[in-house]
Amino acid sequence: MEVKLHDIGEGMTEATINAFLVGVGEQVRADQPLVEVQTDKMTAEIPAPANGIIKGFSVKEGDTIRVGETVLIMGAGKESVAPKRTSSATAQSTRILASPYTRKLARDAGIPLEKVRGSGPAGRILDEDIQSHLLVEPLPKETPERTEADSIPFRGRRKQIASKMVRSVRTIPHCTHFEEIDVTELLAWKRDVTDVSMGAFFIKALSVCLKEFPIFNGRLDEEQECVHLQHAHHIGVAVDTEEGLIVPVIRHVEEKTLKGIQKELKALTNKALDHTLTAKEATGGTFTVSNVGPLGGSIGATPIINEPEVALVSFHKTKKRPMVNEADEIVIRSIMNVSMSFDHRVADGGTAVRFTNRLRDFIEKPGILLMEMI
Amino acid sequence: MVEKRDLMVIGGGPGGYHAALRAAQLGQQVTLIEQGEIGGACLNEGCIPSKILTHFASEFRKQGHLQKMGMVMGETSIDLARLKSYREEKIQGLRAGVEGLLRSGGVEVMKGAASFLSENRIGIENGHQFSLFEFKQAIVAIGGKMEYPSRISMKSPFVLTEREALTMTEIPEELIVSGHDYVAIEIAAAYAALGSAVTLLMEGRLPFDQAIEREMKRLLKKQKVSVTTEVTILSVSDDGGVEVDYESPTGTRQVNGTHLVVCGKSGADLTCAGLDRLQLECEEGKIKVDGEGRTSIPGVWAIGDVTPGPGLAIKAIKEGKVAAEAIAGKTGEMDLEWLPAIVHMDPPVACAGWTEEEAKDRGYDVVCSEYPFRANGFAALKEETDGMIKIVSEKGTSLILGIHMIGPGAVELISTGVLGLEMAARAEDFTFPLYPHPSSNEALMEALEELTGHAVHLQRRKKKAVR
Repeated sequence: MEVKLHDIGEGMTEATINAFLVGVGEQVRADQPLVEVQTDKMTAEIPAPANGIIKGFSVKEGDTIRVGETVLIMGAGKESVAPKRTSSATAQSTRILASPYTRKLARDAGIPLEKVRGSGPAGRILDEDIQSHLLVEPLPKETPERTEADSIPFRGRRKQIASKMVRSVRTIPHCTHFEEIDVTELLAWKRDVTDVSMGAFFIKALSVCLKEFPIFNGRLDEEQECVHLQHAHHIGVAVDTEEGLIVPVIRHVEEKTLKGIQKELKALTNKALDHTLTAKEATGGTFTVSNVGPLGGSIGATPIINEPEVALVSFHKTKKRPMVNEADEIVIRSIMNVSMSFDHRVADGGTAVRFTNRLRDFIEKPGILLMEMI
Repeated sequence: MVEKRDLMVIGGGPGGYHAALRAAQLGQQVTLIEQGEIGGACLNEGCIPSKILTHFASEFRKQGHLQKMGMVMGETSIDLARLKSYREEKIQGLRAGVEGLLRSGGVEVMKGAASFLSENRIGIENGHQFSLFEFKQAIVAIGGKMEYPSRISMKSPFVLTEREALTMTEIPEELIVSGHDYVAIEIAAAYAALGSAVTLLMEGRLPFDQAIEREMKRLLKKQKVSVTTEVTILSVSDDGGVEVDYESPTGTRQVNGTHLVVCGKSGADLTCAGLDRLQLECEEGKIKVDGEGRTSIPGVWAIGDVTPGPGLAIKAIKEGKVAAEAIAGKTGEMDLEWLPAIVHMDPPVACAGWTEEEAKDRGYDVVCSEYPFRANGFAALKEETDGMIKIVSEKGTSLILGIHMIGPGAVELISTGVLGLEMAARAEDFTFPLYPHPSSNEALMEALEELTGHAVHLQRRKKKAVR
């Protein structure tokens, strides 16, 4: 049986073989990922159409192949006596397995179900698959409808963002706490450490603060009447793209070096801008950071919490301002405003102030952060 | 003077009034135009009157069973005049109900014949009065027109349309029914139950899974209906009765009867309501629409029998709601894949999904089960043991592909099947839930259990009864 490259996304004609996930002679089960491919929009895995044994590869890693070309050859394996998946392959093309509610979600978001890969049992498309698809697929280009006023489409990712924001604000009693932080010394430090950005420093500093204030890395479970304090610091970074806000997630920040964070931050930001994020890279965050400083112009905001997280911190533009120092002198310092929104059901203002105080300490005296590094 | 309206619905049949009410629920200002009676052909001439006849026949057939149980009712006879007034009373009551709903729903109802004058103007003629309206949106819901084979003269007093057959004043002695769908079967079965000797000539094969077709033919035969399929009528002559020459795979035959009922096919009349002025894009002789009812002209929508697909109220109703929702800015979708097919004979037939043959044609590796109603306790106590349920499922995944049944309560029971098909259910999804006991529902559950040979109330043969 030949496993071919099939159309896995809108308008896709070719893809590059990133990596083989199985070896020759390996016994594979139906739906097991065989190969990772990269299109101009996304990375995706091609699953096994049936149980069987990998006989050989028709292409090699790094090759760019067109839709319809054979990727590898599979032979009947021990378990392939079971149902003939060839018939299912035809069948799946005629029947999309999704409940009417899921189909409505896709309709509302303007996603053709044929483009969505189902992650549910027997390839069912679940609500989550629609949401994940929105994260990796850009908004389809639409001709504005003929109306008297100019209109832009309010669907796809924009609508998804809207509904997420509304749900968050309706569910979570938001409270936003503002702070101003002197970044003069950090800027000086940064002049020597050119391969780490301010953003990466903030993310690491936040992770250290989260260790001391794990409540802000929690997840409220009202049914169980408890807050789950999560050990992993999966920090989402809000990225402003043409199609709207995307939040790629840097996983396990608590275990990573500043350089590691910097590398990942850069890669994920580029992927978000190029729409090449995978669903895994854009989900599962435990805390979110928004760095709007580089855009300029913002001195404060009330960021909306990325539900079901507990808090979110926004860093705003840095500006030189006259400040009064401890010797009562007026000095020029670089000051940055920080906004922190938190779930007032879970934490109080005092805790939030202590959290940002600690963050301020790290940013104002970058050397202190060294003491906390692994 | 031109009056302005937001949404005008042309036609107050099931599609039209559902569209009007749904649009009004969603905040639209709606005007509904009807030249005849609200409720359209479905309520006034088709579905409702025909179901009064089939219900009457079915209840009439039960008398023997009721007497056996101890109900003493005296001599039973049929009074078609009383049935007629009952029918009119019921239709009137239902119509008044819909009119009340439209009133309370804030829908403006106008009587008269609507005619498109341009892509955004409609004229309404009511007697000597003519009014002109400019609309933002219009839904064409004018229904269909019945078409009859040209070689049969419908003018003979012994040749009736399917609608005329519903209002006969006497039970015909020998009735020949010619048709192509469920309507013919219902008329044949109903009059057979009321005492007619019935010959049913079906144009094609019975449109069901072969197992259902087999059981249906057996039961019709038991009810003294002679069924011939794949029939082409060659000629009809009448002389105090009818003589029908027809051709079937077994050769050319002749059958005589006192009456012939010819069931028409639903087409669309695109010359009425000024539709010819609009130059709408058409397909299959009907108005072409997208999945939400949009025609080729912006602001003009079409639903029901005037659009392609089967001429069924169920389709018109759904299309009406979808179009109304789309007009109100919501997203909807018409998907007829799991449209249930029903026949109100006794026992009724109800099917949804693919037949075994269709599933195989689509490339599925299929496993099927069959479960007879005689194994169901509730059916046994009611002495309604005729019929069976057939399940078509995908081998290996146990994905349910089709549910076909003929038996007591099938029309209600199929809703469970349709829901399961829409949810892409597998056998476990059907067999896990609790079913009311005792009830016909248990027959459905056991039919699904029988996919693995585990139906409790089936005696096991030595070989497993699973194909």
